[in-house]
Amino acid sequence: MAAAVAVNGTSSSSDWEGRYYHVDQILDRPGPRTDPSFLAGDEVKEFLREKCKILVIGAGGLGCEILANLALSGFKDIHVIDMDTIDISNLNRQFLFRPKDVGNSKAIVAAEFIMNRVPGVKVTPYFGKIQDKDEDYYMQFNLIICGLDSVEARRWINATLVNMVDPENPESLKPLIDGGTEGFKGQARVILPTVTSCYECSLDMLNKPTAFPICTIANTPRLPEHCIEWASVLEWPRVHGEKKMDTDNPEHISWLYEVALARAKEFKIEGVTYSLTQGVVKNIIPAIASTNAIIAASCCNEAFKIATSSAAYLNNYFMLIGTDGVYSYTFEHEKRQDCPVCGGESLDVTISKDWTVERLIEMLVERQDIQVKKPSLSSPGKQIYFQAPPQLEQATRPNLEKKVSELVPDGGEITVTATTLPFNLSLRIKYT
Amino acid sequence: MSQTESQNIEQATTSVATNQPDAKTRRYDRQLRIWAASGQAALEASRILVVSSSATSTSILKNLVLPGIGHFTILDSTITSPADAGNNFFLNARSSIGKLRAQEAVPLLRELNDAVQGEAILKDVSELLATEQGRDWIGTFSLVIAHNLKKDTLDELSTLLWANPNGPPLIAVRSAGFLAHFHVQYHEHCVSQTHSENAPSLRITRPFPALLEWARSLDLQNMDPTAHGHLPFVVILVRAVDEWRKSHDGNLPKTREEKTEFKRSILAMRLKPDEENFEEAEAQAWRVWSEPAVPSDIQTLFSLPPLATSPHHNATFHALLETLAEFTKDPSGPGTLPISATLPDMKADTKSYVQLQNLYRDAAEVEKNHFKELFAAKHPEIAKSANPEEVDSFVKNAHHLRVLRGKQLGAFDKDRDALVTSLSLQPRETATHLALSALSALLSREADITVDALNAEVQTLLGDGVEFPDELDAAIGEVARAPTADLPNMAAFLGGLVAQEAIKVITEQYVPLNGYCVVDLIDSWTGVIG
Repeated sequence: MAAAVAVNGTSSSSDWEGRYYHVDQILDRPGPRTDPSFLAGDEVKEFLREKCKILVIGAGGLGCEILANLALSGFKDIHVIDMDTIDISNLNRQFLFRPKDVGNSKAIVAAEFIMNRVPGVKVTPYFGKIQDKDEDYYMQFNLIICGLDSVEARRWINATLVNMVDPENPESLKPLIDGGTEGFKGQARVILPTVTSCYECSLDMLNKPTAFPICTIANTPRLPEHCIEWASVLEWPRVHGEKKMDTDNPEHISWLYEVALARAKEFKIEGVTYSLTQGVVKNIIPAIASTNAIIAASCCNEAFKIATSSAAYLNNYFMLIGTDGVYSYTFEHEKRQDCPVCGGESLDVTISKDWTVERLIEMLVERQDIQVKKPSLSSPGKQIYFQAPPQLEQATRPNLEKKVSELVPDGGEITVTATTLPFNLSLRIKYT
Repeated sequence: MSQTESQNIEQATTSVATNQPDAKTRRYDRQLRIWAASGQAALEASRILVVSSSATSTSILKNLVLPGIGHFTILDSTITSPADAGNNFFLNARSSIGKLRAQEAVPLLRELNDAVQGEAILKDVSELLATEQGRDWIGTFSLVIAHNLKKDTLDELSTLLWANPNGPPLIAVRSAGFLAHFHVQYHEHCVSQTHSENAPSLRITRPFPALLEWARSLDLQNMDPTAHGHLPFVVILVRAVDEWRKSHDGNLPKTREEKTEFKRSILAMRLKPDEENFEEAEAQAWRVWSEPAVPSDIQTLFSLPPLATSPHHNATFHALLETLAEFTKDPSGPGTLPISATLPDMKADTKSYVQLQNLYRDAAEVEKNHFKELFAAKHPEIAKSANPEEVDSFVKNAHHLRVLRGKQLGAFDKDRDALVTSLSLQPRETATHLALSALSALLSREADITVDALNAEVQTLLGDGVEFPDELDAAIGEVARAPTADLPNMAAFLGGLVAQEAIKVITEQYVPLNGYCVVDLIDSWTGVIG
């Protein structure tokens, strides 16, 4: 049915006549909702197929799908970053990998697979961390798509891209498209750094990570999960000392399982299994191919629309729930004026005059919209409390007992830093 | 999984201790956490027929082969075009051009999972629909999926499958550029494992005897303060309700004032102001306001009229449902649905929590046995042959049962009133659906696809006197822009959505779509109509 359609002027040596018959129906003419600035025809095809450079972060469940979709859509210069190697449990959905690939780099195997299957597409893999790369690296791309399961990595890339924006240079604004899934649910969103709401703005929408109070784990376990936490948080360091627990090591998981099971028996708690032990200590998120396919397709569709202007792109959040029929919700997530990354205003924190520094730190750690572990605190010209190095920690430790109001005036600023926080968070302290 | 693959996986990992999962369990770990071994077994027993090997069709199949269906057949006699080689990931690019598309696609799909059988039947579906043997063969599958099939052929297929309620359900997909819709055709679909996130009733206002006894036996003023501070909120609430009823003629708190007073009565039980379990009980007091003996959506199921075309394999479910209705009315029963054995976590010490858990477990066991006695008495034949796991699962999920009754594909388009109502309530979804239905009709007549022709076709569906909303222009214009485009991103999006529905239909877990799902990838939304 496509035989009569010619590729106009944009053919590279690997293309064949009719290759882009489907996509070209969109690129050759506007639709009723297409922005008038859309330049149908050769120019847009040339940009997409010859010039546009796109980065995919993550070559896992979403990443494999994203790479295939981008390649078929006509993106030809694709880069992919992933620090992980392939595990057997990836094979139920990461469809570019086979049993023989277990143990190899996801980014490298995925890139080779795509280049074999879709001729003329160049996929450049990087087997490592996103944090290894600097602003110059990220500056070379037109678009970035993120298919990660780590909140920390997403916060890092989000903060990096927001910081890169130079109002004098429109090229410095890199659209970030982010996807995530869990079971039959998922979401895709478009972030225009500094323009729309960013990843940090919506941190409080994440499910609160299940954290069990230490006293429950130690004294009043009720659930099998409490017994598993006891084994991993308290018993492992007590028995093994400095030896680090490796959640990918089956022997370590087996040890935790046995210890948790014994504790559960002692307390007559049922339900400790190997699978649950693994799930709790590795914080496993259930995942299936179909949900990843939906969310990755949504991300790539937005990338395609942004790259070609062939249709309006998502503004700015798409959420899907497939557990009861097909339910989805598309909405504009609003920018937070006090967002520590893109808001510009410092975060107002109102506390009692009697609060100690330690109490303030506890509050910061608990807050869902901040999500920080082990924060260090300082005020202009003054170190309040530092987690590291040890000498500084020791020197500032006495401040933990002091009242915040003794150290910071009403309306004064505190800067929060942490290794897990890719930016400095500034708080404006007010007292009740 | 084949022998060789299992061995490869074994070699790839070291030191396999006895309590560790086998290779298959490790491979499927992330999905077994969703649908468990029972869902996996259902998938592995399934045989799926996919009509066409378009980009959308192979995307759907990819998401079914990966989780491990038993078998798939692609029915397609098409020769790979240059366009197919450009948009379909499961073809060998240029080298597939000119070869049979289904035959090219099958090996590339099969290599995703050695455990799955797959074959290509190089015929057109209309050829099979023309013979009795062919029609019978189509009926042997567990599910049939069709993408962008010609309207008359699709109508014939849907009529054939609808005529046999015990035959496979049909998922029919139509896409054009950024727009698409799909429909799931079944007479009736029953689910006990809906995986609802709503917690079942703890039956605080209708406590079973052992729970009430515990709550009444407590000497709250004089008991050990540590034990007092660790009483589970359930016991506190049962006690508070019991005392409230004594002083209020057996009634529960109803007005806002009464509810506030009830909450105050909970906090007044504290020995110390910082007892968190009593705070939790106060926060959970809403459980007392409305705790129907039978939730209204389950009550509705009890009065469902019988369906002549209910599939045979739903007979056990219906017999269980009848038994459940009787259970709730039985004077020797609790007058409610059977109690659930699962408790949420709550502030409590280990001893009292485990004690409470055991009480619920024992009560659930007693009620389940009572249910089973009623079942055996009322439906002796079915009870004898029923799978005990199905019965247990039904009782366990009694608070979340669902029965869906579907329509034949196309029935919505013949119901002018329903279309007109839908167009005013859900204009963008209905407009998109109508534009795609119009496209489908025009393509089967091999007519030119123009905005005018599409408009005229929609006019035929809607009849005179209906004002077209702006959404219709937007949808028709977009269909006219790309009437035959199977975009890679749309194919992948539908591949995921349709596979999710297929998995839900096959595993009888979670709740599948009833009607049409409409997709617009310009404004990035989905909706359900019909």
